[in-house]
Amino acid sequence: MRISGAVAFSAGLAVVAAYAVVTALRWPSKAALFPLVMGIPLLVLALAQVAMDWQAAPSENAPQDTPAAISILAWMAGFIALVFLIGFPLAVPLFILGYLVIQGREPWFLSLALALIAWGAFYLLFQELLHFPFDAGWLTGGGT
Amino acid sequence: MIDALLQGLSLVLQWNAFSLMLVGMSLGFVVGLLPGIGGAATLALMLPFVFKMSPVEAFAFLLGMHSVAATTGDITSILFGVPGEALSAATVVDGHPMAKNGEAARALGAALMSSLVGAVIGAAALAVSIPIVRPLVLTFGSPELFMVTMMGIACITSLSGQGRGAQLKGFAMGLLGLLLATIGQERQSGILRFDFGLIYLWEGLDLIPVLVGIFAIPEIIDLAARGTAIAGNAPATKLGSGVWEGIKDTFRHFWLVVRCSAVGVLVGILPGAGGGVAQWMAYAHAVQSAKDPADRERFGKGDVRGVLGPGAANNSKEGGDLIPTIAFGVPGSGAMAILLGAFLIMGLHPGPDMLTKHLAVTYSMVWTLVIANVITVIACLALLPYLAMVTRIRGSLIIPFLLLLVFIGSYTANRQLADLLVTLGFGAVGYLMMRFGWPRAPLVLGFVLGKLAETYLFISMARYGYAWLTQPLVLVLMALTALIIVFPYLQERRSHAN
Repeated sequence: MRISGAVAFSAGLAVVAAYAVVTALRWPSKAALFPLVMGIPLLVLALAQVAMDWQAAPSENAPQDTPAAISILAWMAGFIALVFLIGFPLAVPLFILGYLVIQGREPWFLSLALALIAWGAFYLLFQELLHFPFDAGWLTGGGT
Repeated sequence: MIDALLQGLSLVLQWNAFSLMLVGMSLGFVVGLLPGIGGAATLALMLPFVFKMSPVEAFAFLLGMHSVAATTGDITSILFGVPGEALSAATVVDGHPMAKNGEAARALGAALMSSLVGAVIGAAALAVSIPIVRPLVLTFGSPELFMVTMMGIACITSLSGQGRGAQLKGFAMGLLGLLLATIGQERQSGILRFDFGLIYLWEGLDLIPVLVGIFAIPEIIDLAARGTAIAGNAPATKLGSGVWEGIKDTFRHFWLVVRCSAVGVLVGILPGAGGGVAQWMAYAHAVQSAKDPADRERFGKGDVRGVLGPGAANNSKEGGDLIPTIAFGVPGSGAMAILLGAFLIMGLHPGPDMLTKHLAVTYSMVWTLVIANVITVIACLALLPYLAMVTRIRGSLIIPFLLLLVFIGSYTANRQLADLLVTLGFGAVGYLMMRFGWPRAPLVLGFVLGKLAETYLFISMARYGYAWLTQPLVLVLMALTALIIVFPYLQERRSHAN
């Protein structure tokens, strides 16, 4: 039998609540009180929701936005990886250019112009005006 | 008092103070659009610049910047679903659906006008209440503040959808938010809770990455999936023409705006109640003001009242916040704690002196709040049709810029690269919540209030044992909390009976 996404989400919530309760039981009462007071009813509600979702008729087809969601989440993960590797100042124009050309299929000239505008605005605001210290990337001097 | 009021006005309108206020406002406008660098962080960054200024100039500069950031934070909340400020998150709930329906200009007009009304009410409250507010502030100890957080949490019933299933999901999300707030070192025992061996989690999760992830990323995914502009295929004529409609909405629901402003002032006055509480309580109040369950159903889908309430409370809170800061040196929020630093730099001591010797300076702050908001609203109204046009730019062009806004905003809040991962994680969770019909607002409310609630509960227990439960003001607040919880059910029953 196929488990619907709704059941899986509710069950995931129940697992989180159960983990919180079991973990909190090992702590002194002061530290455990609040997580237990929140975790136990959350566990009960999540299990009730699992039961309700289980009884509800599962939808046959996956929603159409799933591939788009996965794609955009992958771009976000890519941007974060870029920031870790080369830092924000370089990642900003590269990401804008890459996204516009590859995902947005925008013309090169427009993409390059927008990437430069984004970098310029970033530089002016954070470096010149606010003097905000961004971490360097692992490849550009921030790694150890 | 009238003399001091007029003197305060003339001080703000002097060239130096006025031009510095404009500089502060320009800065506040820009940083208000960014989620991470909020009003408080900018105040901290700009504090070193005030050393050579006179007190009036310094407060015109700092307060001008701070009050504008609260207003412009609503702009990104409405246009992109990205809360420009932690305090603008409630505006997303109805403001962004309005933008998706092609009513961005109307939503922005409503947000700006209600912000202005809220700011004026907040400033008026500041002007008249300083001499009389002392007993109120001193009456509120930890038990009363705990009950205020409980009142905030009780708003979950209004922030959840209707029907048993929706209420169950709303409560579950509220509890999850409260549970997430327990991550990190417990203050009484020093025990590390749910830290998974990561130093990053010792301080707990920060609000900005959670907020931005939960609200903004699902909207960006939705935009990418639709493959259209934010306003979809809404008729272009509807787009720019709604500004006046939004302004009229403020006066159509004027008493709601006034009541929500009062909520903002009251929460602002209470030191330690937290700025995040005001907007959600105001939003919940707006939902409760619905005539019947059918009317209530419109909230969350683009009801202008859901924009007016938080918009008004956000700005009236500024006036409220200043009251305990000026009168007793007790800051009501993080931003006010930083402003307290400015008082000391200026050689001023908050307290009775501010109400006697430096009364003109105090009133110059009141005028700064009013003038800065009036100028911002006029400037924004002129720009609004152009701002609303942003919602017609095709999604593929705007998405990378929104992602920058989201991730730079998350990072700049604490300068922690791990915050980017938290944002992404909560973004994915937020998307799943949206897809499977779990409300996001209760989770954020629980998260905002969780730490405060636990702290005040422990102080109350340590100080009074169980005796605090019988204190008169606590009992009144308990009754109010119960009323907030049962009100939606009573409303539903009455509607069924009719």
